[in-house]
Amino acid sequence: MYDAIVIGARCSGASTAMLLARRGYRVLVVDRSSFPSDVISTHFLWPHGMSYLNRWGLLEQVLAVTPAQTEIDVVNDGIRLTGSVPAELLRAYFRDLHGDGSGVVRTYASIRRSVLDQILVQAAAKAGAEVRTNFTVRDLIVEDGRVVGIRGRAPDGRSVEERARIVVGADGRNSFVARTLQLPKFDERPRCTFAYWSYYSGFSIETAQLHRRGRLACAVVPTNFEQNMVLVWGPSEWSREFRADVPGNYQRALDFVSPELGELVRAQGTREERIYGTLDQAAFLRPLHGPGWVLVGDAESFKDQCTAIGMTHAFRDAELASAALDRWLSDDASFDEVMASYERRRRGQDAAAYYDYVCTLAEMRPYRHDELQLFVALRGNQQEIDRFIATHADVAPVSEFFQASNLFLLNDAAKETSAGYPIFEDFAATSRMYQQNLFA
Amino acid sequence: MTTGLDQREDGELIEIILGAARRGDVTTMARTAAEVSEMIRNWATHIPWDDFASLDGADDELAQVVADLEEMWEPAHLRNPVDPDEEYALDKNAYDFYRPAGRNLLTRTEDFHDWVLARRRTETWQYSRVLEAAPGSVAEITNDLGRRTRGINFNSQDYLSFNTHPAIRTAAERAMRDYGPHSAGSPMVLGNTRISDELERALGDLVGLEHVTLFPTGWAAGFGAVVGLVRQEDHILIDRLAHSCLQQGARAATRNVVRYEHLNVESVRQHLADIRGRDTRNGVLVVTDGLFSVDADWPDLVTLQRVCREYDATLLVDVAHDLGSMGPGGTGVLGLQGLLGSVDIVMGAFSKTFCSNGGFVASNSPALKQYIKMFGGSHFFSNALSPVQTAVVLEAARIIRSPEGDELRGRLFAAIDALRDELTTRGLTCMGEPSPIVPLLIGNEKLARVANRLLFDRGVLAFMVEFPVTPTGSSRFRLQVQADHRPEEAREAARIIEGAIADSRAYLSSAFGSAAK
Repeated sequence: MYDAIVIGARCSGASTAMLLARRGYRVLVVDRSSFPSDVISTHFLWPHGMSYLNRWGLLEQVLAVTPAQTEIDVVNDGIRLTGSVPAELLRAYFRDLHGDGSGVVRTYASIRRSVLDQILVQAAAKAGAEVRTNFTVRDLIVEDGRVVGIRGRAPDGRSVEERARIVVGADGRNSFVARTLQLPKFDERPRCTFAYWSYYSGFSIETAQLHRRGRLACAVVPTNFEQNMVLVWGPSEWSREFRADVPGNYQRALDFVSPELGELVRAQGTREERIYGTLDQAAFLRPLHGPGWVLVGDAESFKDQCTAIGMTHAFRDAELASAALDRWLSDDASFDEVMASYERRRRGQDAAAYYDYVCTLAEMRPYRHDELQLFVALRGNQQEIDRFIATHADVAPVSEFFQASNLFLLNDAAKETSAGYPIFEDFAATSRMYQQNLFA
Repeated sequence: MTTGLDQREDGELIEIILGAARRGDVTTMARTAAEVSEMIRNWATHIPWDDFASLDGADDELAQVVADLEEMWEPAHLRNPVDPDEEYALDKNAYDFYRPAGRNLLTRTEDFHDWVLARRRTETWQYSRVLEAAPGSVAEITNDLGRRTRGINFNSQDYLSFNTHPAIRTAAERAMRDYGPHSAGSPMVLGNTRISDELERALGDLVGLEHVTLFPTGWAAGFGAVVGLVRQEDHILIDRLAHSCLQQGARAATRNVVRYEHLNVESVRQHLADIRGRDTRNGVLVVTDGLFSVDADWPDLVTLQRVCREYDATLLVDVAHDLGSMGPGGTGVLGLQGLLGSVDIVMGAFSKTFCSNGGFVASNSPALKQYIKMFGGSHFFSNALSPVQTAVVLEAARIIRSPEGDELRGRLFAAIDALRDELTTRGLTCMGEPSPIVPLLIGNEKLARVANRLLFDRGVLAFMVEFPVTPTGSSRFRLQVQADHRPEEAREAARIIEGAIADSRAYLSSAFGSAAK
C-alpha cells in the first residue's frame, strides 16, 4: 500500500512523485517508457519553469548540459521587442501561487525531453520514490466508486496490482486515467495550430527568436547537443496543404516569416533529425479531481504549443498538487478542502484569462492594426516590454497588462511612431494577402 | 533514441497506418508503426503502437484505433463548421478596435461596427437598451433589436429611489414653473439661479467643506477639477481603478501620471517619496474614488490624506457613489472615516443618489473655487445645470440629511444584505463591501455575455461590465440596488442570476470558476 501512485513519469509526474517522496511519503511512479526517452514537446522552460527546477535543486544539473539565456527576441511583422522576465514579477508569481517567493531565476532554456525527463526521473528515485519504467497501466482499481489502485503489466509481462490512498494522473494530453474514468472535456477550443520542427547544427544564435508574420510563426531556439530547435507553426486549417510537401513548406514558412532566419537555416544549418509534426493541439480542461484521483499537467489542462508553456505549467501543477496532497496525507485538512484549494488556483480568473489568451493566439489570425501599433508603442519602454513578455509567459496576470488605463498610458508614453514599419504602409491589402493559404 | 534523416515523417506514416487500419491490414499497420518516431509514440499513448499485429478485425478495438488515428490525422474541428457570427461576437472585445487602420476617419470605424452588429444579432450586446417607463425596483425595457422585457431592475443608478419620490417630483415641478426648463447660459455668465447658491451651501454642509462649485455633469466635475489644477510639469498619482473622467483628466493634464495599485496607500507613499526626491518645485495631485464602483471597496483615506500632507501633495476624492447613499447621515465614506471637512478636494456626481445629472467640486478654499471655475473648462464653457436639475438635487440633499434619509438608507441596506447573502450562499462571489453597488464576479467575458443574454428573458435586469471598464478576464455584473428593492425581490433575483450563470456555463461547457487567483 502506497500513499500515492503517480501514472506518468515526465514533467508533471516525476516532479509530483519527487516532491511527495521528499516529504516522506511512500510513492510509486510508473511510466510505459524507459528513460532517456523523447516525446513531442516544445521543450521550452520559461523563467518560472527554470525557477521551479532551481527551487527543487535540479537546475545546476540541467544547466550543465543545456544553454540558457535571459533576453528573448519577439518580432511581430518586423516590429522587434527584446526583453526578459523581471525578477520582481517572478517573485510575485511564486508568492501569490505558492506562498513563497524564493529561488527565482530569470533565465529560460530549451531542454530536450530525452535530457530533462531523465533528470526528473532520477531525482524522483533519489528522493525515495519507487520508479518503475516499461510499466504499462492496464486498468484502474475502483472500489465503491473510489479509485484505490492500478493494474498493469511489468516489463517481464507479469500482471501487477498496486494500491494507494491517491492515484495521480500525470499521463499527458491523451491521459489513460482520464479515458478510463471517462472524464468529460470542458472549455474545448478546437482551433489550434499545426507545428513542424526539427534540429539543426552548424550555426549558433545569442537569444531565442520568436517571429510572427501574418498567420504563420517560427521560433529558433538553442538547445542541447549544440543544436537549435527550428519550429514553424500556423493555423490548423492550413495543415492539409502544408502536409503535401513537408520539407518544402517548412522552409517556405521560415522564409515567409523571417527571410533572415530562413537564410540562416538554409545556408548554414545541417538538419540532424527528421522533421516532426503535430496538429493534435486543441485545448481543453478536464475535471481536476475525484474520489481517489487527481490530475496534473497536460492531463488536466492542455493548451496549444504556441506559447510553449506546457512544461512550466506541469511543474506548477506538481508543486500545487503535492503541497495540497501533503496537507491531506498528513491529516492537516480533508481531501475536499485541499482539492478545493488546488482547484481555486487552477480554475480561477487569472487561469481563465491566460487560457483565453493562448487559445486566441492559437487561432493565428493576422495581427490587427491596433495590436501592431501597441507593439510599436512598447518599443523603447523596457519596463513594459518586460511586463508584456512576462504576461505572454503567464508570469504576470493578463488582466494587469491588458487594462484600459495601462494601455492608454502605453500610448501616451510611446517613443516611436508607426512610420518606420512597412507593415503599416498598405495595411488592409497586406492583411488580405495574409489570409491566403501560403501552401495552397 | 531513434534519429536519422532517412526516416519518413510521422504524418506520412500515420496516413499509411490509417489506410491499412481501414482495410483491416494489421500486418502493414505493425510494420509501419515500427518506423513511427519515439516522440509520437510517447505522445499518443492511447494508440497501441506495439500491439497492432494482435488487433482482431472483428473486435471494435480496431474501430477505436481508426477513430483515434483519424482525430490525430485530421481533427474533427477541421470538418465541422461553427457559427461564425456568434464566434466573432463572443471572441473579441472592444479594445480590439481601439486603433483602427486607415487614413479615412469615417470609413475606418466600420470594422468596429461589424462587430457591434454581430453582437447585436446574437443578442450579446449589453448596451443601448431603453426604458419604457420610470425605472423603479422593477422596470420595463426594450433591447436594441426591439425586443421588450420586464424584470427586477438592478440596472438603474437611483440608490434611494428618488426618481419616484413625490417631494422630488414636486420640487421639479416648482422649478419648472418658476424658472422654466433652460438655464440659458454658462454659470460664469447668467446660467445660475438663486437655488444654485442654495444647492452649493447644502452640498457644502453635507461634506463639511465651505466652497462648492457646480458642474453640468459628474464627468465634467472630475475632468474639470483635474485639468483646472494640474499643469504639464506637475505629477498625478491615480488609483488604477479611479473613474474614467479622472483618468482622462489626468492624461489630458500631464504626461507625469503614475497609476498606483488599487487602494495601496503604501505605494502612494513610495511614489511620493520618489517624486519629491527629484522634484521639489511642482505640484502633485493624488486621485482616488471614495467608493469604487468597479470593486465596491474604498481606500484608507485617513492615512492617504496624512501621507499627502507629508509630501505636500494634494488629495482629490471622488464620492460619486457613496455620498448620500451610505455613511452616517448620508455622508458617505468620508463620514465613515471621520473625515468631514478635512479632505483637500472632494468631487461628486448627482447621478447615483441625487436623482439628476450634475456634479460638484468642494474644498475649504475660496481661491481654489474661483480658480477651478475659471480654468476647469467644463464649468466655464458649459451651459449651467438646469433649474429643474438644481431643484431636484437640492430637495434630494434635504431628504438625505433628514430622518427620512436614514430610513431610506436602512431599507437600501436591507436589500443589499439580502442580495449579497443569497448570492454568496449560492457559491457566487460578491466583491468588496456592502454598498449600493454589488459587483458579482464572473471573470470570462464569453460567460458573462451569454449569462447576460439569458437574464434578459428571465426577469432580471442587470448590467454586465467588461473591458475596458474592467481588466480583461474579470468581467462582472454590476448590480445596483435601490431603497425600493424588497429583500425578497433581491433574493429572487439572486436565484435567477445563479440559474442563468449555471446554464451559460453548461452552454459554453466551461469549467472555470471566478476565484481571483
